[in-house]
Amino acid sequence: MINKYKWYEYILIYAGIALFVAFMLAPFLEAFLVSMRPLSEIFTIPYAFLTDNMSFDAYFDMWRNVPRLHIYIMNSFFIATAVTIIALICVIPAAWGFARFEFKGRDAILGAFLAINMVGGTVLIITLYKLMQKLGFLNTYWAMIIPGAAFSIPTGIWLMRSYLMKIPKSLEEAAWVDGASRLYILRRIILPIAMPGIIVVAIATFIGAYAQQFLFALTFNSQDSLNPLPVGIYQFFGRQEIIWNELMAASLVGILPVLIIYIFLQRYIVAGLTAGAVKE
Amino acid sequence: MGQLKLENLKKSFGTVEVIKGVSLDVKHGEFIVFVGPSGCGKSTLLRMIAGLEDITEGDVIIDDVRVNALPPVKRGIAMVFQSYALYPHMSVYENIAFPLRVEKLPQAEVDEKVHKAADILKLNERLQYRPGELSGGQRQRVAIGRAIVREPSIFLFDEPLSNLDAALRASMRIELSKLHHDLDATMIYVTHDQIEAMTMADRIVVLDGGVISQVGSPLELYHSPDNLFVAGFIGNPKMNFMDVTCTGVGKNSIDVELVTGEKLTIPVTARAGIEGQKLTLGIRPEHTTTDGCDITISLNANVVERLGAHTVVYADAPGVELGDDPEAANRFSSIQGGMANIRANQRFDIGIKASDCHLFDEQGAAFKRNIDLSSLDLPEMQASA
Ligand SMILES: Nc1ncnc2c1ncn2[C@@H]1O[C@H](COP(=O)(O)OP(=O)(O)OP(=O)(O)O)[C@@H](O)[C@H]1O
Ligand SMILES: [Mg+2]
Repeated sequence: MINKYKWYEYILIYAGIALFVAFMLAPFLEAFLVSMRPLSEIFTIPYAFLTDNMSFDAYFDMWRNVPRLHIYIMNSFFIATAVTIIALICVIPAAWGFARFEFKGRDAILGAFLAINMVGGTVLIITLYKLMQKLGFLNTYWAMIIPGAAFSIPTGIWLMRSYLMKIPKSLEEAAWVDGASRLYILRRIILPIAMPGIIVVAIATFIGAYAQQFLFALTFNSQDSLNPLPVGIYQFFGRQEIIWNELMAASLVGILPVLIIYIFLQRYIVAGLTAGAVKE
Repeated sequence: MGQLKLENLKKSFGTVEVIKGVSLDVKHGEFIVFVGPSGCGKSTLLRMIAGLEDITEGDVIIDDVRVNALPPVKRGIAMVFQSYALYPHMSVYENIAFPLRVEKLPQAEVDEKVHKAADILKLNERLQYRPGELSGGQRQRVAIGRAIVREPSIFLFDEPLSNLDAALRASMRIELSKLHHDLDATMIYVTHDQIEAMTMADRIVVLDGGVISQVGSPLELYHSPDNLFVAGFIGNPKMNFMDVTCTGVGKNSIDVELVTGEKLTIPVTARAGIEGQKLTLGIRPEHTTTDGCDITISLNANVVERLGAHTVVYADAPGVELGDDPEAANRFSSIQGGMANIRANQRFDIGIKASDCHLFDEQGAAFKRNIDLSSLDLPEMQASA
């Protein structure tokens, strides 16, 4: 291996990485510290990194204070999973179509998808409310799942399409010559080869859906038992005070599913983002 | 049966016409090779036969059935791609079995056919490997295996050996010829490689810019090219072309005068009214030794390549056509004996024998040479018997 960098360049590079990582992780660290502190110690001035009486009490008390907390976490997980599955079912065939088939208006449609992505859900929220109302989806899971899926599909198609375009066309042609139908080719050839790409899209969609559900839940849902965590967490906002430590504890527990999934599938993400070159 | 008939086949991509009317009759069991320069439409033609490319005009007829609108699998063809097109996530076994799986054959039958193909291609030891763990030659064999399990009547190959090194190409060439013999199937084979074309083909189809320039057995094309294009395309190094003037027409010959003033009487079928015209004389590099020659010309050797068995000499010569390749400008190539006493930048003699010469008119069409092709050992249809 050729050592490309001098020692001081290595120091600079690592310092840069450290700074970046610190920036990214600082909020998590602070959230964790806050969750450990008793309420009285949270707003100490001057700021103290470690304070008296740190404990994991908040992680136990929160379940009692907000009895439905586990339901909110389950809801979040359920909604994000449903969004991911629906999005994938739409994204994979669509992306394949965009990647492989020539048809009129293909580029225009792709462009439109990108444009919708830029507008985003927030701008359309009132129209969406009307739509959900008309369809009778208000105060059901659908009101959170369908818009969530709809807004993740365009990004998914773009990601997936660029991945599928790297799969040599001759693989499909060979299968076609051998008598395989389009669906057979999709199932037996494209899906397995594109699996790293599909996992990347799935994770991106899942994380996106996890973050996105707050807006849709807040607007379209008033039934407490259906609320996802980001909305449910509001119950830590009491009349007089906000129970910060439990709020932070609940948040950290809430992102745990995403973290676990990420750790398990990480090796696919790295492979999917870098490799992708399917040779022969 | 594997009869194939192309009738005035045409193909346009948008407004660009790529195949401009190709007609061809292929008998069962023939080994047909398509050659031609890059971009002349070889792959497109093959893909039209396969059913991967729509046909703009004309017909493809396989075993007396017009197949224009049939999907590939209904045409009784199998295709081997240049890039092998193996499925990276499947074992060699599953790759070969793929067409059978599509047909939903019972496992016992699949097993039998895959093992039979693996036997022929010597892949038995490798059946559980992934394509990524194989060498180039083995991958190519897997691709061929996938084609033969379907027992098609026509095999289509698109430059199947071009990704292999020279030694492997040579051995695969022999294996393919053997396979052709054993399978009793028609093969259509696209290649860039002249040696592949000359050694394997029953008949070679030379394509030039979307039309067939000539069809014939390898030796027919070599000894009796119909036009300048085929003459220049078949043979390596290329045939030399020199400007000559027609000075007279005999009963079965044409008299020409070289730029240098030498005169030759070429034994070709003549036609009247060409006296005084500029013609093109073609002489292959391997026919330029001074043994038994009719005229000798002294040239200045520019480059001398010693290959052991023979020596290739490149020289300037008066009246030699420039061609479209500027690198080859004024290059006259000559193949001399391996021990020939020729050095770069020295003069040496070449000899030309009138009976070795080819003669082309102003349009590039050849005058028919007075040679008896039947005396040449032409394998034409024997292989199919
Ligand atoms: N899908 C396509 N769309 C437009 N033009 C095409 C397409 N496929 C091929 N062509 C054109 O058709 C011509 C013939 O292509 P083809 O691939 O048949 O050439 P070829 O003889 O196989 O060349 P090579 O020896 O380089 O493989 C080329 O000029 C090419 O640009
Ligand atoms: Mg080609």
